[in-house]
Amino acid sequence: MTTLALSNSLIAASPTMTNMSSKITLIAPEILLFLGAVLVAVLGLSRNAALRRSVPMVTAIFLAGSIVVTCWVYRTDAVATSGLMLPMLGGYAKTLIAAIGILLVMLAGPSVDRRLEEAFDTGRASFDPIRVMRGEYFSFFLLSIAGTMLLANANDLIWMFLALELASLPTYVMVAVSRGTRRAQEAAVKYFFLGALSAATFLYGFAMLYGATGTLELPVMAERLATQSATTGISALAILGGVLAILGIGFKLAAVPMHFYAADVYEGASSPTTAFLGFVPKIAGVLALMILLSTFGYSGHSTVAGGSHIALPGLPAPLTAVLWMVAVLTMVLGNVAALLQSNVKRMLAYSSIAQSGYLIVGLIAGPQSGYDAVLFYLLGYGVTNTAMFAVLASLERHGEDVETLDDLAGLRTRHPVLAWMLAASAISLIGMPPFIGFFGKLALFSSAIEAGQTTLVIIAAVCSAISAFYYLQLVAVPMFGQPNARTETVQAVPSRWPRFAAVVCGVGVLVLPLGLAKLVAFASSSTEPSAKVAAAPSDTTASDAANLAAR
Amino acid sequence: MLDPASIQPAVVSIPAAIPSPEFAWAGLILLLPVLAAVLSTICGARGVKGKLPGAITSIALIASFVTTLMLFLRLPDDAPRTVHLFDWVAFAWSGTAPNTSFLAPFALYVDSLTLLWMLFVTGLGSLISIYATEYMEADVGKGYARFFASVAFFLFAMGALVMGGNLIVLYLGWEGVGLASYLLIGYFYTKPSAVAAAKKAFIMNRIGDLGLALGGFLIWTNYGTVEYDALFKAISSGAAPAANASAWGAWAIPYCLMLGAFGKSAQIPLFVWLPDAMEGPTPVSALIHAATMVTAGVYLIARMFPLFSLDPNALLVVACVGCLTAFVAATIGMAQYDIKRVMAYSTVSQLGYMFLGLGVGTTFGAVYHVFTHAFFKALLFLCCGAIMHGMAGQLDLRKLSGVRTVKGFGIISWTFFIGCLCLAGFPFTAGFFSKDTIIAQAFASGNPTFAWLGWVALFTAFLTAYYTFRVWFRVCAGPQKYEAGDEVHSHDDGAHDAHGHDDHGQAHGHAHGHAHGHAHGHAHSHAAAHAHSHDWHPHGPRWAINGVLLVICIGALLAAVPSYNGELQHKPNWVETMVAHSSAASGIPSHEHAAHGHEAGAAAHHALSFTGIEDVHTATSVVASAVGVLGICVALWFHLLNRTAADKLRAALLSNGLTRWLPLLLENKWYVDEIYHAVFRLPSWFLGHVLHFLDKQLIDGLLVNGGARVPVELGRLFQPLYNGALQGYAATMAGGIALIAAWVFWIWMHGG
Repeated sequence: MTTLALSNSLIAASPTMTNMSSKITLIAPEILLFLGAVLVAVLGLSRNAALRRSVPMVTAIFLAGSIVVTCWVYRTDAVATSGLMLPMLGGYAKTLIAAIGILLVMLAGPSVDRRLEEAFDTGRASFDPIRVMRGEYFSFFLLSIAGTMLLANANDLIWMFLALELASLPTYVMVAVSRGTRRAQEAAVKYFFLGALSAATFLYGFAMLYGATGTLELPVMAERLATQSATTGISALAILGGVLAILGIGFKLAAVPMHFYAADVYEGASSPTTAFLGFVPKIAGVLALMILLSTFGYSGHSTVAGGSHIALPGLPAPLTAVLWMVAVLTMVLGNVAALLQSNVKRMLAYSSIAQSGYLIVGLIAGPQSGYDAVLFYLLGYGVTNTAMFAVLASLERHGEDVETLDDLAGLRTRHPVLAWMLAASAISLIGMPPFIGFFGKLALFSSAIEAGQTTLVIIAAVCSAISAFYYLQLVAVPMFGQPNARTETVQAVPSRWPRFAAVVCGVGVLVLPLGLAKLVAFASSSTEPSAKVAAAPSDTTASDAANLAAR
Repeated sequence: MLDPASIQPAVVSIPAAIPSPEFAWAGLILLLPVLAAVLSTICGARGVKGKLPGAITSIALIASFVTTLMLFLRLPDDAPRTVHLFDWVAFAWSGTAPNTSFLAPFALYVDSLTLLWMLFVTGLGSLISIYATEYMEADVGKGYARFFASVAFFLFAMGALVMGGNLIVLYLGWEGVGLASYLLIGYFYTKPSAVAAAKKAFIMNRIGDLGLALGGFLIWTNYGTVEYDALFKAISSGAAPAANASAWGAWAIPYCLMLGAFGKSAQIPLFVWLPDAMEGPTPVSALIHAATMVTAGVYLIARMFPLFSLDPNALLVVACVGCLTAFVAATIGMAQYDIKRVMAYSTVSQLGYMFLGLGVGTTFGAVYHVFTHAFFKALLFLCCGAIMHGMAGQLDLRKLSGVRTVKGFGIISWTFFIGCLCLAGFPFTAGFFSKDTIIAQAFASGNPTFAWLGWVALFTAFLTAYYTFRVWFRVCAGPQKYEAGDEVHSHDDGAHDAHGHDDHGQAHGHAHGHAHGHAHGHAHSHAAAHAHSHDWHPHGPRWAINGVLLVICIGALLAAVPSYNGELQHKPNWVETMVAHSSAASGIPSHEHAAHGHEAGAAAHHALSFTGIEDVHTATSVVASAVGVLGICVALWFHLLNRTAADKLRAALLSNGLTRWLPLLLENKWYVDEIYHAVFRLPSWFLGHVLHFLDKQLIDGLLVNGGARVPVELGRLFQPLYNGALQGYAATMAGGIALIAAWVFWIWMHGG
């Protein structure tokens, strides 16, 4: 927990004291989640089984509370005085993260420590505070979400680095404790080492940026980069720093070439943890990239070629090239590799890689419509991703996760609701109307076309077509497959929460487009310059989440 | 003399529609059938055994009719009204005017044309659903709910088609009635011929629907709107079509719409589906395939008449196609033995008259004929249905005779007779007035082409009278003689139970082909040929069928009243007023008045001058009456007084090498099905097989599977990288970063 202490001290030491109070106001939701993390950690160690069992509920309540606080905070004028690059970014992002977080709690709640608690109940084992993991798991769960939320407020590179680490470090532990198998531990170790490599990469990049501009504060850095661009061109050091930072942060998105861990880690972790990994680090990476790319600015750059300035719109050309390359490789590799998988979790790992590719397309498109589209896409992706893993988390065979396609064959005959939800979310991920995934892709691709990235959109569309092949397996196998001896032993887990989450998300995939205009407006408010258009708290996502929390 | 070219695109101002939210209750006309359809479906799903679905549907449709009537009584007829029900399709974007939006709210456009149509659609719909509650009773608990759900859905779709305020709602209704028609033709889905007929109807209609869809699209590209009000405003203001419209696009609009109309209304070349559609239950034939749905094409052209009046050539095509269809279908109808088929061809033929009316420029005549035809043709079909119902599915006019004298068939026979009089155009019946309006206009227009069409129409009127009374004289008159059809069944009220007689040695198994859907649990022991031999008795209908027949018969007679007012008492013809106050009158009023104005001068020249009657309308009436009566007399001779003469004539024609083509051609329906089979189906079949082969081998084999193998192999190529070893992952990641960084530097160095 040294990280936490360090981050607090650095916040206090932030050079611009003028907007300190507004910054504190803006991170009120995160502060609430920190408190929650402490409380949950203590509760989880209680000898009282009822208290231990209340941990997921308390976690969900704190997440709901953070939604309420977020809605309140982003209506105050703290936003206007915060001096952030994208002051309104947090309003939507924090609400979204916390709302999806509540659904993820429903998945994880019953699964963590299930065997151990059963053993305690039946008296096969006596309570041992060393062995219970629930408190730690949900404590880390909240910390990781808090770190992701903090990214939305990042205003200097140190904050950004610490927030990224706060979002990532807990997930390594979560993978390790999610199920007590060696595979999970192996996955955690891989995840940790590769994560460290990526952290080193983007920290190196940050250092170069600091060296090239002489500041850590992003608004100041943006000014200096603009000055450089207008006079001598952006220095090679800054460009290299940017490239390394992008590639390093790409690890959070599982973007090529930092994607190697994804399949192994997704497979090794329990299904609820995989659902978490598929969403929270991804949105952290996207937020970090948005802020970083905004620092470089999309508003026109000039390069010096042959002694003369050539003005170019958008990001500096090398950065665009890197993002372009990464996006294409990520989409192609993710979709092609997913074709080969028979393990559903590995397939979804590659699918999540591919989805990151689409997100990068939106990032290339630029700050207004592109960012809006990316943020809106994340909503659809978050819901759909949760629905898929919720279906997996609802099933087990002899107490083990259900993982292969064969296990799902003929699911419809025995668990029709789960099969339908899986089908709905798979079709949504393909991007079929009228599901939410269609509108997400529509917004993303049209923003890229507006930005002139037609080739990229064509590649993305082809990749989408390829993706239909494996997503449709998730429809066809459960719906039309023949149940066999192996599937006979697949049964639903005793807890109804994962099923409930599956139904909520599966229905949400179909129902959310009904509130499309409001949701898009809410996502678009993120890139508004100030607090004027803070979305009403009665927005669908927020109220959905609040309703869920109330249950 | 007035030739079509001189009919200028008369700037007839169609009054701008008045938005009338206070009439939002008119939406009930559409909502009630939907409710009935939903409730009937629920009944079907819950397995209700009883007549509940029939009752629900009848009550809902009657309520819908009453609502229409209230709308008719309350609506001031000064201008069309638009009733915006809810936003439906709304797209807007930036672009070149006027194509900057695509708006199709779910709105109603109510003018007198709409009301006229909806009155007979909902009125006949209610009556026929009452009739069907009795007619379909053998299916209670099985298809009963399905039948009424489809009928109620049909009424909704027809309502949307007629009342919709834009082409998109019209298209919704258009496809909806097509779907309902498909479902109901294929109602006896265990019977292959019914399934084939349903598919044929559906596919033929698809061809027409393509035309309508293209027409709607072209209207949008040319005028920037699909809403009637805005469209009429654009046309009557004489505004040039949009800047980005193409000349051929504007030119093609009426022809595309025409294709749609010809498909739905069974005109050449898309008429062959309608006779086959008689596979559906008879109430369906009466409602959908005679009275309402098939007139949708006439409605479309009448509604879009402002567009058609811009192009006299388009109207000429409509007239020619209509006249040709009327003639061809009448000749086929002469030679059919199945009385429902005769009526089906007669429907095609009468629809031809309606298109002729539209083409020669009397929308009033066309609409009036739709109106009268709806009543008398529904009546005729319901009579055929009642006979079929009572005679165990017998429809062959050679096997029925003297039904008039069979107990319980009196009302059927005499209402049938009145229906036949109307269809034959017997003087002073409704059909007489409406048909003569059309034929007279063909002569009065002064266009020599139209005059020729008028002569053909007159000859067709003779054929019509002949084939109509051929049926009646054969079936209802003459000595009493009948054979049961192939679906002998008893009714609960039947005195005898013909079932369970396995002991009488004639257990021929089940020869009944479910032409009627009577899949009884009883053991049927009659085959068609022997059905008459034992306990079978024809049974007359009860109150629901008889009552409806009487009401529709009175309706068919009363349909002539507007003309009595118009012609004899010199009061304005009610239907004519209705049509004149709608968009269908665009381009017409000047024309009508001009024609009347010309009469004095043109009187001496009109085509029927030989009668010595100056007024062309009167002359037509006289000639048409004479022709009609002549047709009836011929039928009387051949089919009642001297029935062998007909057979002898046929044999004589067949034996003579020079004339044998005539009966063969007519009996084989001009070989149209065979021609279509040879010209369209066989090449399609062949092409389909070739394409299938190519698809399997080339596309699936080489491109798809081969193409799919590329990514798979690509994936395999990289799989060794994913060996799970941490060092490998880390090294590859670092290598990747280094490669990309180097590549970027290369770009940067080159100033890209």
